[in-house]
Amino acid sequence: MRAIGRVRLTRPIAVLMSAIFPQTSAREEPSGAAAEVLIRVDSVAKAFGPTRALRDCSLDLRAGEVHAIMGENGSGKSTLVKLLTGVHRPDRGELTIGGRTVRGLRSPRTALDQGVVAVLQEILVAPPRSVLDNVWLGYDGLLRDRASRRQKQDRARAVLAELLEHPPALDRPVEDLSISDRQACCIARALVRDPAVLILDEATSALDVATRDRLFEIARRLTSQGTGVFFISHRMDEVEAIADRVTVLRSGNSVATRSRDQTSPRELVMLMTGQDHLVGGEERRAAGRRGGDAVLRASHLQLRSGAAPFDFTLHAGEIVGVAGLEGHGQDVFLHVLRGVAIPGGALYAMRTGEQPVAIHSPHEAGQRGIAYVPRERRAEALFETQSVRENFALPTVAQDRSGMLVRKRRTARRLQMYVDRLSIRLSDPGNPITTLSGGNQQKVVMARWLAAKPRVLVLNDPTRGVDLGAKRDFYAMLGELAADGVAVVMLSTELDEHVELMDRVLVFRDFELSRELLAAEVSRDALVASFFGQEPGAHG
Amino acid sequence: MDEFRRQLRARSYLFALVLTVGLLIANIIALPAFGAPHNWTANLSLFAPFMLVACASTPAVISGGGGLDISIGPLATCISIFIVAKLLPSSTFHSPFLAVPIALLFGAGVGFTNGFLVAVLRFEPVIATLCMLFVLTGVALEITPEAGGAPAGNWTTALTGHTLGVVGPLLMIAAPIVVWWALGRTPLLRHLYGVGANDAAAFSAGVNVTAVRIFAYTLGGVFAGVAGIALAAILQAADATLIGSYTLIAIAAVVLGGTPIGGGRGGLLNSILGASTIFLLQNFLTSIHVSANWQQPAYGAMLLAGVILGSLALRQRPPKARAAA
Repeated sequence: MRAIGRVRLTRPIAVLMSAIFPQTSAREEPSGAAAEVLIRVDSVAKAFGPTRALRDCSLDLRAGEVHAIMGENGSGKSTLVKLLTGVHRPDRGELTIGGRTVRGLRSPRTALDQGVVAVLQEILVAPPRSVLDNVWLGYDGLLRDRASRRQKQDRARAVLAELLEHPPALDRPVEDLSISDRQACCIARALVRDPAVLILDEATSALDVATRDRLFEIARRLTSQGTGVFFISHRMDEVEAIADRVTVLRSGNSVATRSRDQTSPRELVMLMTGQDHLVGGEERRAAGRRGGDAVLRASHLQLRSGAAPFDFTLHAGEIVGVAGLEGHGQDVFLHVLRGVAIPGGALYAMRTGEQPVAIHSPHEAGQRGIAYVPRERRAEALFETQSVRENFALPTVAQDRSGMLVRKRRTARRLQMYVDRLSIRLSDPGNPITTLSGGNQQKVVMARWLAAKPRVLVLNDPTRGVDLGAKRDFYAMLGELAADGVAVVMLSTELDEHVELMDRVLVFRDFELSRELLAAEVSRDALVASFFGQEPGAHG
Repeated sequence: MDEFRRQLRARSYLFALVLTVGLLIANIIALPAFGAPHNWTANLSLFAPFMLVACASTPAVISGGGGLDISIGPLATCISIFIVAKLLPSSTFHSPFLAVPIALLFGAGVGFTNGFLVAVLRFEPVIATLCMLFVLTGVALEITPEAGGAPAGNWTTALTGHTLGVVGPLLMIAAPIVVWWALGRTPLLRHLYGVGANDAAAFSAGVNVTAVRIFAYTLGGVFAGVAGIALAAILQAADATLIGSYTLIAIAAVVLGGTPIGGGRGGLLNSILGASTIFLLQNFLTSIHVSANWQQPAYGAMLLAGVILGSLALRQRPPKARAAA
């Protein structure tokens, strides 16, 4: 009835057949023309009100390949995934899944029944429920179990063991786990269903490096068994590492599909944007802004009991990267810089020619010109029910006062300045902030803090889930700020950002400052080596 | 502190359990006869409606999305009046084998309607069930007869100990517990908790969120049907003035039991302990001759303490602890 169903049922037979007759199995040559097509997307379009999220998108997924989908935010990737997972139905065009052509899938359940399973960037867990329940969430029918508890435990344990070095106990509530492990539970949820098509939609952005590498191993094993993988990522290195083919989306159109061997990161970036560089690194560094006056000093920072304490001084006009494997103390360090007190540590704000002032709370830090942009945009930075204008103006609305009254026009004028400077794409500042794309929301949050004219900017992974174009605007703006004497500390989980942007990079390991790399020393290899406690260059 | 929180989260009923035990002892000290075996039947019969409305309010809260059913009290009262005024005097429907299913169906129907309003038509749960509260209040007043007594010697008296002894009230108390236990053996309860904890996650994992939410409200309605039977049994009369008294106490018992309004946590045991806390406190205050006017403030204070403890357990850990975990 459905080819996908057949693939799943006959997998043992296929393995057997290929053992006996090595040439007969099409799946043995995944990129070959004979490979079975699992999903074909044919000229689909989808609009939400006036926004045309997808205009004309066509691509196909073959059995046994990893097919990367790349594009900026707003290029239609998320919408495409929602069509494939049954959340939305296309307005035009057709989907062929498992040999059957349909106008669209009715619900996530329909997609799952067809073997199409997705892991999304948003970490979709039920926090109070156990790891086991989260891994098997939605698998059973309404009234009947589709597997025994024992089977579920064994399978979940096996999958988590493959994915994580230290898998959590199955009865632990997921809310007790780290972000990375929570996302691992979502991935395990997809894997236990034996997907015929696995969609990883920015699923790796919350994972630590070790887990991500293990996921890639698993993906390779699955593809060798005939599974097809759609892989969506903003990280070029990941795409290079794992994809067989790449399809680039731009403004809702599928622009090109390339085999990985026949393309380069440079070409892909050009296809996505028409421009070919992340940041003008050479010119920026040549300007040499290092050696400004000290603006912030932190002393005797012990990030957790037993860890070696360290001191840190931040200078005006420098951009300092904070790097390391996830959960090695980087977050704590950023929180110290924003004014959260830790035992034994001290933080001083300094101004040339003045006595250093001790800071005891985030409020005092704010008064001293330290601005913090949190990582969880939705939870910590946005007022989701409010307009773009309100979101921008909230902490600085006093600037627009005249007497007791707030002049809306002044706010609008101030906002317009940042809209131009950060290239924020928006139609009407009175619209709710939620009408903007993720990247533009992040820019508004940035604008909010820039409007407070900070002396120190502390950024917690600000470009996470932001498209390339927005990133480029963002880097340019950081460069301008630094040139104006603002000191920037930026946690980033992206190696390229450290390589191209930072004046120096602090690498954290086991809640200690394990290395400080200067711009000249920073390279991907050096960073990854120091993440794992190796001397840079000794062994990549 | 972290470990303490984790324990509180894992055993959210602890506060209500401690209060229940403490108040039980206090009651026995204040009035030794309270604990005497010959009073068990009467006490449990009085406790049953409290406990049942609390149980009936629980599934909607667990189902999340602001889930709340404030029409449970009125529904139970309305069903009790329906039993006393219409079913018991009827020559066809007076038998328990017809009356009980009819009462439960009544509850299920109203619960299903609430669920449909919330899950399909996307009304705010508070608004949908508030409308239902008004409708049921009207119906209850309309069907309340002038002389509201039940026929003497009807089957409901057995439930308060007339012929069955202590087994009578235990039957009523056991009903929701058995149903809950049986549901726990199907995937349905796991779906309910999953939907309550994160409906987006459940939806994308293939759970039929709409069906699960409708089920939650329907189950609450069925339990309210049992509560209606219990009320009829204890009162032996149709009394529409009770609508007010059970409406909010049911919600209070759920929250006091440690089931947070946010959904996805807590359970039936929580609500039973919450209800027993309120029941025992009321008893205790009466037996030490505290004015009834002070009972309500006492509930309030206790509820406040319970909510504070609950939110301590659920509070986001500070960043430092989070990173160290």
